[in-house]
Amino acid sequence: MDPYSAEGELINIHNHFHQGQYQEVADFDVATLSPENALPARVLQLRALVALGRADEARADVQGETDPALEAVGALADQALGSAEAAVRTAERLAQTAADNATVQILGGTVLQAAGKSEEALALLGQHQGSLDAVALIVQIHLQQNRNDLAVKEVAAARRWAQDSLLVNLAESWVGLRLGGEKYQQAFYVFEELAQAPATSSVRTLVSQAVAELHLGRTEEAQAALDQALTKAPEYAEAIANMLVLNVITGKSSEELASALHKADAQHPFLTDLAEKSELFDKAATKYKAKVAA
Amino acid sequence: MQASSGMLTKFESKSSRAKGIAFHPKRPWILVSLHSSTIQLWDYRMGTLIDRFEEHDGPVRGVDFHKTQPLFVSGGDDYKIKVWSYQTRRCLFTLNGHLDYVRTVFFHHELPWIVSASDDQTIRIWNWQNRSLLCTMTGHNHYAMCAQFHPKEDLVVSASLDQSVRVWDISGLRKKHSAPTSMSFEDQVARANANQTDMFGNTDAVVKFVLEGHDRGVNWVAFHPTMPLIVSAGDDRLIKLWRMSETKAWEVDTCRGHFQNASGCLFHPHQDLILSAGEDKTIRVWDLNKRTTVHTFKRENDRFWVIAAHPEINLFAAGHDNGVMVFKLERERPASSVYQNTLFHITKDKCVKSYDFQKNVESPTLLSLKKLGSPWVPPRTISYNPAERSVLVTSPADGGSYELVNLPRDGSGAIEPTESKRGPGNSAIFVARNRFAVLNTAAQTVDIKDLMNNTTRSFKPPLGTSDIYFGGTGNLLIITPTAVHLYDIQQKKTTAELAVNGVKYVVWSNDGLYAALLSKHNVTIVTKILEQVSTLHETIRIKSATWDDAGVLLYSTLNHVKYTLLNGDNGIVRTLDQTVYLVRVKGRNVYCLDRAAKPRILQIDPTEYRFKLALVKRNYEEMLHIIQNSSLVGQSIIAYLQKKGYPEIALQFVQDPATRFELAIECGNLEVAVEVAKELDRPKLWSRLSAEALAHGNHSIVEMCYQKLKNFDKLSFLYLTTGDNAKLTRMAKIAEHRGDVTSRFQNALYLGEVEDRIQMFKEIDLYPLAYMTAKSHGLEEECQSILEATGLTEEQLSLPTFGEPLTPPKPVVPTYQANWPTKETSQSVFEKALSGQLEGLSLEDQPAAANGLGEAGEEEGARQDLLGEADEEEDAGGWDMGEDIAVEVEEGFVNVESAEAGGAASSEADLWARNSPLAVDHVAGGSFETAMQLLNRQVGAVNFAPLKPRFIEVYQASKTYLPASAGLAPLVNYVRRTVEESDPRKVLPVIPRDLEYLASNDLQRGYNTMKTNRLEDGVKIFKGILHAVLINAVGSDSEAVEAKKLIASASEYTVAMSIELARRALGTADAVGKNAQLTRRSLELSAYFTIPKIEVPHRQLALFNTMNLAIRSKNYNSALSFANRIIANGAAGKILESARKTKAQCERNPNDAVEIEFDQFAEFEICAASHTPIYSGTAHEECAFDGSKYHSKYKGTVCAVCEVCEVGKHGSGLKLFA
Repeated sequence: MDPYSAEGELINIHNHFHQGQYQEVADFDVATLSPENALPARVLQLRALVALGRADEARADVQGETDPALEAVGALADQALGSAEAAVRTAERLAQTAADNATVQILGGTVLQAAGKSEEALALLGQHQGSLDAVALIVQIHLQQNRNDLAVKEVAAARRWAQDSLLVNLAESWVGLRLGGEKYQQAFYVFEELAQAPATSSVRTLVSQAVAELHLGRTEEAQAALDQALTKAPEYAEAIANMLVLNVITGKSSEELASALHKADAQHPFLTDLAEKSELFDKAATKYKAKVAA
Repeated sequence: MQASSGMLTKFESKSSRAKGIAFHPKRPWILVSLHSSTIQLWDYRMGTLIDRFEEHDGPVRGVDFHKTQPLFVSGGDDYKIKVWSYQTRRCLFTLNGHLDYVRTVFFHHELPWIVSASDDQTIRIWNWQNRSLLCTMTGHNHYAMCAQFHPKEDLVVSASLDQSVRVWDISGLRKKHSAPTSMSFEDQVARANANQTDMFGNTDAVVKFVLEGHDRGVNWVAFHPTMPLIVSAGDDRLIKLWRMSETKAWEVDTCRGHFQNASGCLFHPHQDLILSAGEDKTIRVWDLNKRTTVHTFKRENDRFWVIAAHPEINLFAAGHDNGVMVFKLERERPASSVYQNTLFHITKDKCVKSYDFQKNVESPTLLSLKKLGSPWVPPRTISYNPAERSVLVTSPADGGSYELVNLPRDGSGAIEPTESKRGPGNSAIFVARNRFAVLNTAAQTVDIKDLMNNTTRSFKPPLGTSDIYFGGTGNLLIITPTAVHLYDIQQKKTTAELAVNGVKYVVWSNDGLYAALLSKHNVTIVTKILEQVSTLHETIRIKSATWDDAGVLLYSTLNHVKYTLLNGDNGIVRTLDQTVYLVRVKGRNVYCLDRAAKPRILQIDPTEYRFKLALVKRNYEEMLHIIQNSSLVGQSIIAYLQKKGYPEIALQFVQDPATRFELAIECGNLEVAVEVAKELDRPKLWSRLSAEALAHGNHSIVEMCYQKLKNFDKLSFLYLTTGDNAKLTRMAKIAEHRGDVTSRFQNALYLGEVEDRIQMFKEIDLYPLAYMTAKSHGLEEECQSILEATGLTEEQLSLPTFGEPLTPPKPVVPTYQANWPTKETSQSVFEKALSGQLEGLSLEDQPAAANGLGEAGEEEGARQDLLGEADEEEDAGGWDMGEDIAVEVEEGFVNVESAEAGGAASSEADLWARNSPLAVDHVAGGSFETAMQLLNRQVGAVNFAPLKPRFIEVYQASKTYLPASAGLAPLVNYVRRTVEESDPRKVLPVIPRDLEYLASNDLQRGYNTMKTNRLEDGVKIFKGILHAVLINAVGSDSEAVEAKKLIASASEYTVAMSIELARRALGTADAVGKNAQLTRRSLELSAYFTIPKIEVPHRQLALFNTMNLAIRSKNYNSALSFANRIIANGAAGKILESARKTKAQCERNPNDAVEIEFDQFAEFEICAASHTPIYSGTAHEECAFDGSKYHSKYKGTVCAVCEVCEVGKHGSGLKLFA
């Protein structure tokens, strides 16, 4: 039986992970699991550690392990710790040797994509056999490549065999937010459902809900959700970035948030992108000049 | 009865056999006449026996309430008909005449008549006003069992054991007894004769039809309220339906089913049903049209003798061997569901309708549910799914079923659902956008189903589950008879449980944080994780509840609308004359559904609960507002405040001195306490006050209290402790004066005056003590004199050893001069506000003060000086005029809505950039270069640096960051202003600070700077507006026009403010005054300041400023022209007054001391760069964007106003709308 299915042992820890409740994953009691599920659970917990910013612990945990899955975790931790090259090297090696391992696919794909090697990532992930994690990643990569059409197809295919799974719902919502129109509302329902139920709520889901509200033009509600997220985790870069966007849209001052974002994540795409654009502006502006100097 | 479904028993009484029943038409009362000779009056709603009437001898078989008068009539086996007043609770009179048992009595619906049927085989009509027998109707040849008036026509129907039913025409009787009209003599004779014939025949009441068909005696007969139908019940166990026309009557059909004598029957007042009751212990309900059984209700042991219907509401009563029961046939609660501002409800004829709370309109029928369940069973619940716009309806028919139907977009008449999913179940609700839960109570399972009606999961709920409700996202509230469970669907387990008995309904608050659990007599408020917040008990039934937006629960009982706060405080909002089901509260309106399922709006006064809520939340502003604007003061609110620990607030309301004193003491407000104590002047109050004041350390009040109480000892001690020796001395004198030795001694002790004490001891002959005192203080001389006086020697005395003499400590600090730092009095913000101490919270609604126009009270001189001294303007803080100028905001800025774009591309940002002709869309897409190109082409923009903040702002607003897979960068999505649009060729980016925002925010701020004389800021703001409009989009041509207006206005303000700023930059008033050149320029600039087309009130400011300046420079002629313009502009107040004065003053000497280039009669505009006039007709250049004017020589420079565009470069014009 698929351990991630609704009746499986790993359903809860797996859902926790994808709902962004990493602490719950890390605290999950794995002692009661059957032996064959021990490794996947451990991988999930290690991934949660990485997501919680404790990549060093994860790295230490898998040091010297030879299981490809744990090596993949090591690559992920490496990347989080800043040694992207080593991570990519490991990932590429694993892609050659153990491409049929689901964990290798997922983590290798993540590492490769994060390093900007989308094609390789897709090639590795494409070998998955009914792994929703892989599907979600593929969808995300397609979206990052702006291949909305492929993302839609991927979700539709997954929907057929994994009807009501959390990951399918999430992936569909990601696509929905890109497509817009009525899809905004549907995506919103999914995120809201997750964010507002105490059992599934997390900063990530709250921010996702807020993003959906923002796209729906409901700025007040978005504000409320972001406030909730920021009370939970004041340093969460995504929450700050989206709050910043929201403030700009509603005409409020955003300087304080900008510096907060700088503090939380100086490499956040919002900031790098902005710096780039600022430069672009200055460069473009020099092309024009008044005929007569005042 | 227990086994029967559908019938809802509302009341049961235990008594001997009930033979007659009557409902009161208005009040919740029922009269029951018993076989034991008693008549009972019950309140069936409260279940209480109101009264008993016992004057009949033997069984009482018939009773009836009068429709309007406080009367009822009864008839019994003592042959008597009695008319009673239930107000005076006694029998008014008795109508005698019948010769055997009286079976039934009924009032006529309008005439003062009573009809009675008796075993003496007659039916009689009586007039209860003159207490006479009007008519005796003979014809039946066995007991007459029942006789009733027709509700409208002049007919009587009667039933008899002679197996016949007779219909009597009594129009003759009415004619005879109606008010006499003009009558000829013949008529009168005829009438007199007619009267006589009464003795023999019955011309007043003649038999119209004799209906034969029953094989046995007929026990009961009744008319249909509207149709020409009659129903009768007989000992042949049959219920027969008869129809009549003008001329004949015939049997229509027979309802077979009773297996014992049928004793009573009637038509349902509103529905096409017949009800009958029989000695076979059943009540049966029949379909009037099909004559088939709809329901059968069986009672275990009691035979039914009579059945009656309430004339107005859907209630019935039946009398049986051991009492009566009041029941209804079906639930009357209309199924309803509220989503945001819409109510969805099911009407009586089973149609789904919606009601818009904002527009207060009911939609046409959206959907017809005629086919759901059985025709006589209304649906129980409706659950609405906004995502799919579908409803889930449950019906109790056939053991429970549900149906899932999509609602049409807009209703247009009764629409049969085209497609529906159905299944068995007792309760069904949506739990998520694409999931619903179905409870099957018999099988005790809950199925979670998807929209295709497939079960996706299924679980066993806790034992004895009776109902399920939405429990917040992903959760169910499962109701069992003794507890409520919060059940997590995903984890399939109960996450919380709360023991509450008999919950029937669950109502969620609007924010989803709280839920109210309603049971029959209790309301329990819980949080979303099922923690109990509060609970309350009602003695009468709770029907429904709804939440106020502020978190107040309003609930309805049978006869009240009440509220409860989260902390459990509750109260009555208003009374109800009929039962309603609350669905929504908005302001003073409560929306509800009545029993006919019609939406109704009730007006309520939310003051009380809002006040209490404000109190709980310590929202003093709100409280103040309420106190000012409503008459809330009453004993109850005072008691409430005191009880809840807000005596200081209660104090504000109380007039009664005694109460005021109590409250003042309680909240430690000594001032008030003293005030009241003085007023009342009672020792008890003073002593309480002294104790309280002492606790506060407020010794001056303590002193006053002791003085009032004449409590000398305490007073002395107080002076000692506060070190007030002067007063202590005075106390000693008083004590001496009073001859109170103890007190004197004490005071002397306190004062440390040894001589005084010795003297005192001597005076009262206590020489030993005097000696001891003297000795201990080493006053040997005194000792000797005492010894001499007493004739003793030192040797004769045995003295104890002395220690050091005690002297009272000397005061170091003059504490008595002032109170000690007194205990913090609990003077709340609220109190301060009430006493007007708190700024901005005072009771008077101050006009939005501090508009910066300065204080009116400032000196005249300062006023004159101010504008001359440009450099001081910051300190002076504003134009020195006490004038509040309200600027009308330009209305009519509309939302920026859809525009269009075209094409297809890869990233959405690229789409915007590539295809929209608007610069703003390019900016949002990050394509700054093309945006600049566009602006350059459109308005000749060349200097982009000032636009950078706006570029960045627009760009920043365009993207969101969605956290997706762990370990990867967030997904970037593009925020659209076309939210509804999904066609990639039509999507457009969101624009921060759109036109509407600018008009209602930035523009107003700009106006404000003008009013408050902060011109540097003003210039910045108006330039900011220009930049924001330049990079913007609008939704329509008319909005584009508005945008143009905004640009023009901002431009004029910028020019005006720049001119004035330039003038101020010339130097201080003194410096300018000394230099003729500067004076002249200063005057010119000030004159130009009045030229730009700014709002009139602002122009008045400019003119006033300029006028004063002109006067000071003795340019009376110019001043006169400015004064004239001010006067021409009108408006009111000081400026105008001042202008009039100036005008009068200047008219005496209309000459200018300084010649300036300003021709008040010429038409000209101001060059924005040089601030000199451009006379009409001369060549000039302008900025293509903001329209500011320049002398030709400035062509090619950057516009001084917008700082972006090149002067004189004419582009294609700014495009804001594609």
